[in-house]
Amino acid sequence: MGPFVSTLLGFLENAALATVSAVGFGISFNVPVRILGWCAAGGALGRGLRFLLIAAGIPITWASLLAAAAVSFLGVWAARRLRAHPKVFTVAAVIPMVPGVPLFTALLSISQMERGGPTPELVASALRSGLDATFIVAALAVGLAVPGLFVYRRRPVV
Amino acid sequence: MAATPPAPGPARQLAEEDQRETTRLCVETALLLMQHGTESAVVENMVRRLGLSLGVERVEAGIFANSVVLTTLSERRSMTTVRRSEDRGINMHLVTEVQRAVLSVEAGELDGAGYRTRLEGLFPFHYPRWLVSLAIGLSCACFARLAGADWAGCGVVVLASSAAMGLRQGVARLRFSPLVAFFAAAFVATSIAGLSELMGVGETPRIAAASSVLLLVPGFPLINGVSDVVKGHWSTGVARLVFATLLSAATCTGILLAISLWQLWGLL
Repeated sequence: MGPFVSTLLGFLENAALATVSAVGFGISFNVPVRILGWCAAGGALGRGLRFLLIAAGIPITWASLLAAAAVSFLGVWAARRLRAHPKVFTVAAVIPMVPGVPLFTALLSISQMERGGPTPELVASALRSGLDATFIVAALAVGLAVPGLFVYRRRPVV
Repeated sequence: MAATPPAPGPARQLAEEDQRETTRLCVETALLLMQHGTESAVVENMVRRLGLSLGVERVEAGIFANSVVLTTLSERRSMTTVRRSEDRGINMHLVTEVQRAVLSVEAGELDGAGYRTRLEGLFPFHYPRWLVSLAIGLSCACFARLAGADWAGCGVVVLASSAAMGLRQGVARLRFSPLVAFFAAAFVATSIAGLSELMGVGETPRIAAASSVLLLVPGFPLINGVSDVVKGHWSTGVARLVFATLLSAATCTGILLAISLWQLWGLL
């Protein structure tokens, strides 16, 4: 399997799984049925774009920032058509990019240090996954705010 | 920031009663938007546009974490009102409907009385609880798959997350604090995921356990909090970020209690 094919397959897998994930969160936020499709599109765009950026060698934190900003611009574009605020679906759409496993690893390492004292391995794993997770979460939140910060500074989106 | 400049035209002579009604409509709009998870900049913008469309000269809104203060000015007469606001949970359906109604007023399709009727006819739409639980279960399973879990692990995650979401909704209906709901849900999700893995289902216990609690990521408080602080709405922004932190702390406590109780340290 060539690198192109495996990248394509990875992209499709990421986009497809993120679609389901974003729609599930959309349902838990009571997003209206007609807007759930935009949750799906945003989820696929975010996770798919991030996968491609990482494949192109961009660090995951910056890739997350760019992907969240892309989702947010999609949100602004759709908001005009929907007559609704973009956050109605963009929040559900970025949730598939939340770094769940690093967050969990950091929590486990910290609590193991609390139980048995710090070891170099635990400190390293707590710092590494904790920093990764914190930066990615911050990148997602700031990424969503990018259109408001740079384009829609003085006028509302809808 | 005003989206609609005060329309030039005949001198506004808003009767006192009309101004009072406009003030009420504005503050009720602000409350509905705040209570169902809208960032402060949007709330402020919406009430200002609503008030100007309904004929007052200025609308000033002070938005706080659990109250809204709103003043309208017309003919040098000002009216101020304060409303307590309590969190009613994230509901994007309601936010969308309120926003569309305000846009209709702005477009001239609705007058004050029409807007009042529209607001009173609004009830927050909720998906059935079983559907929310199932959807969240599938969401978290997809997360697990994205993070590299095996299929057995994904199955465990569906079960654990659906049960946790069902519990979270049930606990919330009993009017417990969301912190209690998040703690209980995290405990149940980690217990189900951890114990299944302990019985040897799947080869990726850590990914399964981590994914099964992702339904507890406080997405809205976090993202609205960041939006608020970057746009200068400090009081609501800081409040939302603290709330997101507390929810995460409650989740962590639930996870750690489950791990300690079932002795899952070596497994995960």
